[in-house]
Amino acid sequence: MTLMVLLFLTLLLVPAAAAVHKFLGRDTGWFAAAGLTVLGGLSLIWLPEVIAGQTIDEYLPWIPTVDVGIRLRLDGLGMVFLMLVLFIGALVMAYSARYFSVKKKTSDYYIWMLLFVFAMSGMVLADDMILLFVFWEFTTLCSFFLINRSGDRAPGPAQRTLLITMAGGLGLLTAVLWIIVRTETTSLSEALQHQVWAEDAVFTGVVAVLIAFAAFTKSAQFPFHLWLPDAMVAPAPVSAYLHAAAMVKAGIYLLLRFSPVFEGVPVWQTLLIVCGLITALIGALFALQRHDIKEIMAYSTVSQLGFLVAIIGIGTPTAIAAATIHVIAHALFKSSLFMMVGLIEHQTHTRDIRELNGLRGTMPVSFIITVLGCLSMAGIPPLFGFVSKENLLKGFLSAAEDPALFGPGLTWTITVLGVLAALGTFAYCGRIVLGVFTSYTGAGRRDDAKEPMAPMSAREAPLAFYAPALLPAAAGAVLGFVPFLFDGLITASTQASTTSDYEPYFYLYGGLSTDLMLSVIIIGVGLAAVLGRTRLDSLIPRKVLPWTGVGVVEQMRIGSIAFGRRVGDITRTDVHAVHLTAPGIFLVGIFVAGVLNVGEVGEFTAGHTRMTDWVLIGLLALFLLGTVISQSRTAAVVLAGGAGFVVGAWYFALGAVDVGMTQLLVEILTVVVLVLVLRKLPRKFHQVSRSRTAVSAVFAVAFGLAAFVAAYALTNRRGQSPAAQWYLEETYETVGALNTVNSILVDFRALDTFGELTVLGVAGFAILAVLNSAFSTSDSHPAESKVWIGTPLDNAADNTQAMRSVFNWMAPFIVLLSVVLLLRGHYDSGGGFISALVLGGFFALRYLVAPSDSAVKLRFDYALIIVGGIAIGAVVGLAGFLDGAEGSYLRPIVIWEGLPLPWGTEAGFTLTTALIFDVGIYLAVIGAVLVALDRLGQAQRYPAELLKAHMKSQGQRTSQIERIEMHAGEDPGDVPLEAEGEGWHPEPYAGRPKTSRGDES
Amino acid sequence: MSIAIAVGLLTAAAVYLFMQRGMVRIVLGFIMASHAANLLLFAAGNTAFRGVPYIGTSDYGDGGDPLPQAFVLTAIVIAFSITMFMITLAITTTHDDDTENDEESPAKVLGAADADADSMFDPLVTGAMAAGTGGAHASPLSPVHDFEGRDDDSAEAPNADEGTGEHQSRKDVR
Repeated sequence: MTLMVLLFLTLLLVPAAAAVHKFLGRDTGWFAAAGLTVLGGLSLIWLPEVIAGQTIDEYLPWIPTVDVGIRLRLDGLGMVFLMLVLFIGALVMAYSARYFSVKKKTSDYYIWMLLFVFAMSGMVLADDMILLFVFWEFTTLCSFFLINRSGDRAPGPAQRTLLITMAGGLGLLTAVLWIIVRTETTSLSEALQHQVWAEDAVFTGVVAVLIAFAAFTKSAQFPFHLWLPDAMVAPAPVSAYLHAAAMVKAGIYLLLRFSPVFEGVPVWQTLLIVCGLITALIGALFALQRHDIKEIMAYSTVSQLGFLVAIIGIGTPTAIAAATIHVIAHALFKSSLFMMVGLIEHQTHTRDIRELNGLRGTMPVSFIITVLGCLSMAGIPPLFGFVSKENLLKGFLSAAEDPALFGPGLTWTITVLGVLAALGTFAYCGRIVLGVFTSYTGAGRRDDAKEPMAPMSAREAPLAFYAPALLPAAAGAVLGFVPFLFDGLITASTQASTTSDYEPYFYLYGGLSTDLMLSVIIIGVGLAAVLGRTRLDSLIPRKVLPWTGVGVVEQMRIGSIAFGRRVGDITRTDVHAVHLTAPGIFLVGIFVAGVLNVGEVGEFTAGHTRMTDWVLIGLLALFLLGTVISQSRTAAVVLAGGAGFVVGAWYFALGAVDVGMTQLLVEILTVVVLVLVLRKLPRKFHQVSRSRTAVSAVFAVAFGLAAFVAAYALTNRRGQSPAAQWYLEETYETVGALNTVNSILVDFRALDTFGELTVLGVAGFAILAVLNSAFSTSDSHPAESKVWIGTPLDNAADNTQAMRSVFNWMAPFIVLLSVVLLLRGHYDSGGGFISALVLGGFFALRYLVAPSDSAVKLRFDYALIIVGGIAIGAVVGLAGFLDGAEGSYLRPIVIWEGLPLPWGTEAGFTLTTALIFDVGIYLAVIGAVLVALDRLGQAQRYPAELLKAHMKSQGQRTSQIERIEMHAGEDPGDVPLEAEGEGWHPEPYAGRPKTSRGDES
Repeated sequence: MSIAIAVGLLTAAAVYLFMQRGMVRIVLGFIMASHAANLLLFAAGNTAFRGVPYIGTSDYGDGGDPLPQAFVLTAIVIAFSITMFMITLAITTTHDDDTENDEESPAKVLGAADADADSMFDPLVTGAMAAGTGGAHASPLSPVHDFEGRDDDSAEAPNADEGTGEHQSRKDVR
C-alpha cells in the first residue's frame, strides 16, 4: 500500500458510506468505524520504518506549471497525528451509530465526518504547502457544515466559527505563498531546510506570526478561543472528534511542523508562551464558572490546548516531546469525556450539573468512564495523563536549558503559571465528576439554583453505546503503566519537529525530581480545592468582563453584512443615471486618452468598403430610426428584429456564412420570445419628457460618434493577422476540418466554447429561478380584441389552421435539416450552435401555430437537457487525455475514419470527439431556447407555497385556493405543486390605473 | 469605413434606448449594443478580406479571418440568452416594466424583503446571547436533540412551525 492509496481509500469511504447508509441508516457508523480501523491497521505497517527514522515520500504531479504537486510524506510527526485521526475517528463513528436516533437524518452527517477524516489525513500527510493549505481549509469547511446542520440555533455559531478559522486560513495562505516565493519550492520539507530562515530575520519573524495566527484560530487560542465553546451546539460526536481530538489539533500539528525553523526566534516563542499560558489559565477559570458539562469540557479543551501551545513555544526537545505525548494523552481522555457527555445527555436529557444528581448508582459505567478520563486529565498516577503532565512540567522546567532566552526567573514564572493552570484542571475535573454523579451543584451564591433531578430516574446506556467511550478511557488507564511503548514513535516525531536528535523515553516513576514534587503540590492543593469546592464556587467571579467575545464577533459579523448592504445600496435602484454614469465617464475617459495617444494609425487596406455596404447602411439606419422613435412595443421589437436581419445580411456579405445563419436564427427566436412576453406588458412605451428625449439624443449622437471614430481609426488598417493566416492554412492538416470557424469552436478553442455553454446553461437556470421565485405579471388583453368578437380572428383554433397545416408538413424537414447541419459542421456551414437554433426555430414555429399555450406545453424536463449538454461536453473533454503525452482537456480524438457520409473530404467523413462535443453544444443551446420559449410563453403556473405567501402578504385569504394537488411526473418543466382555483391571478396592485386591463371590468 | 459607420449608428441607437424608461427598451438597446460590438469584432479581423474562410473555398489570400467569426458566433448565442434573462426580469415582480416608478421598483420591493431578514441578527436566534455570557444563563443547550427524548416533537420538525411563529410574534411586538 502507498500513501496515495491510503488517502484515496479514506476518500472512497465517503461514497461507500453514503451508499451503505441507504440500507443501514444510523448503523453506517459501524461500517465507517470498521473502515477506519482497517485503514489505521494498514497504516501501522509503516510504523517500523518511521521509528527507524525513515520517511515515506510520494509524488504525483497536480499543477506542474507552478510546481504544485500531490506530495505526500509520512514521518514520525505525521504518523502520530494520522493514528489519532484514524483510530479516534473509528471510535467516534462507532459511537455515532447509537448516539443518533433511528429517525434522525444522518446521511449528511456521515458524509461530512468522513470527508473530514479525509481532509485531516491529507493535511498531516501533505508535503506540498499548497496541498497543506487546501486540506487545512477543507477541515474548516467540514467543521462549518457539521456545526451548521445541528438545528435552528446552529447557523450563528457555525458562521462565527467559520469567520474566525477562515481568517486564520488566510494567514496560513499568506505565509505559505511568501515561503514559496522566498524558497522557490512548494515542497514543505525542502522549504524548511532552506537557508533563508537563518538569513532573513524579518521574513522569519513575519512568517512566524502568520503561522502562529493560523494555528491560534484553529486551536482556539486566546484571543480566538471563543469559537470553540460556541461550536458546542454541534452534537456530542462532532464535538468529541472535531473540537477535541482532531481539528483543533490541526493547529498544534502546524506549530510542531514549523517548529524546527522557529527555534530560538523570540517573537515565536513569546507569542506561543504568552498566549498559550493565558489560554490555559482563562480556560481553566471559565471551566470552573460553568454548569453545563459540555461547556466545561469545551473550556477544558481550550485550556489543554493552551498548555500544548505554551510548551511548543518553549521549543526545547524535552518540551516538544512532552507536547507530542500530551497530544496523544489528551486525544484519548478528551474524546472519551466528550462521548461521556453525549451519553449523559442522551440518558438524562440535561447537561446542567445543577440538575444532574446522583447518577453514580444508576449509571455506573459512565461513572467509571468519567472518573478514568478525569483522573487522566488531572494528571493523577498511574494514568497516562500523569505521565504526560509530568513531561509537560519537565518541558516547562527545561526552558532553563536555553539561558540565552530564559533566565531562571522566567523559567520559574512560566512553570508556576503552568502549575496554576494544572491546579485549575484538577479543580474542574473534580467539578465534573462530583457535579454529575453526586448531588453537588457547583452553584455559588450568585448563581440560580435549579431543581435537581430525582436520583434514580436515569438508566445506564446499552453496551454498544458506551463501549466506544470506555475504550479510550481504559486505554488511558493501561498505557500509564507502559508509557515506554511510545518511545520510538515520539523519538521519531520529536526529531521531525526539532533540529536535534534527542531521544525521549517515558516512564511512570523515575525517582524523586522537581517535576514530581510539583505534581505532588498540584495534587495536594487540587484536593484541597475540591474539598473546599463550595467556598471556591462563591469566590470565582461569574462575569469577568462586561462584554463577551462571542458578542464582539457577532457584532463584527453583523457589521460586515450591514456594510456590504450599504455598499450595495449605492446601486440598489432602477434609476438609469446611477448605473450609466460611471461606465459613461469611463468610456469618455478611454476615448479622450485614445485620441491623445493613438498617434499614427496607418493606411486602410484596399477593399475595406464595397458598394453593397451602403445599401445595408441605408436599411440599417431606417430600421434603427424606426426602433428608436416607435411608441408601440410590438413595432419597436419588430423593427429591432429588422435591424438584426440587416446585421445578419452584413455578416453574409463579410463571408461569414455561419455567423450570418446564427444571427438570422437568433433574431427570429428573439422576436418570437419578445412577442410572447409583450402580452404581459402595456402596449405603449412610457412617455418621457421632451427635454429628456433631447438629452438622450445628444448623448446618443456623442457616443455613436465616439464609437465611429474608434472603429474608423483603429480597424481595417493592417493586413490579415498571422492567426487568420495560420487557421486558413493549417486547419485541415491539424484537425482534418474544412470549416475553420466550426473547427475553432470545437477543436482549437473548445475550452472557451465549453465556458460559453456553461454561461448559456446558467442563464437558462437563472430564468427558471426567477420565474419560480417571483411572479410574472399576468397577460393583458388589448382593447382591440373586442372588435374581433364573432369573427374568425377571435377563434384561436380557426385562425391558426392554415399555418398549422404548413407546419405539419414542414416539421420533419426542419428537424432533418437540423441534424444535417449538426453532422456536417466540420466540413461545411453548420455545427452545434446553428443546428440547435434551427431546432429552436422548429419549437418556435410549433408555438406560433398552436391555438393556445397549454396545447404546446412541453412535457419533458428541458432543464435536464441543459445539464446533459454541459455534462456531455465535460465528459468528452476527458477523452482528450487519451492522446498520450500530447493529451489535454478537450483535445479532439479521432474515433472512426472514412465513414460513408455525404460530407467530408475525399478521405471520407471522419468522426472525432469534437462532433460529440458539438452534440453537447447542441443540447445546451436547445435547452436554453426551450426554457425561454416554454417559461416565458406560458401563462405562469404558480407554485402553491409561493402563491399562498403572496396572497397572505397582500392581505387575502388563502382559502381562495380550493385545492392544491401534486402533479408529480406529469409536468416536470414546472414546479410540481400547482394551485387549482377559480382561474386565480394575482390581484392588480391597488391604486393603479387599470389602463391595460380596462376591457375586463 | 462602412463598418465603422454601422458601428456608430448601432451605438447611438443603443445609447438612446438605454436612456429611456422601461425594461423592454433597455433590452432592445442591449441587443443593438451587442450588434455594434460584434461588427467591431469583425472590423478587427479586417473587412477587406471577405472570402468564405473554408479550406479550399476562397482564393488564396482572400479568406476572411475565422477567429472573430468564431467569437461572434458564440457571442450572438450568449447575447440571446442574456436577452431572455433580462426580458424575464421585465415581467416579474411588478406590473409593468417601468424602471422609474420608485414605489414599485423591484429594488425597493426586494430591498424591503431584505430588511426583514434583519431578524436573523437577533442575538436570541443566533445563540450569541446564550453562549459565553457567564454564570447561570450560560447553557447553550442545543434546541434540537439528536436522539429520542422528552423534546421528541421538536426534534422531528426543527424548523417547521416553531421558527416562523416566533418570527411573527416578534414582528407583532414591533
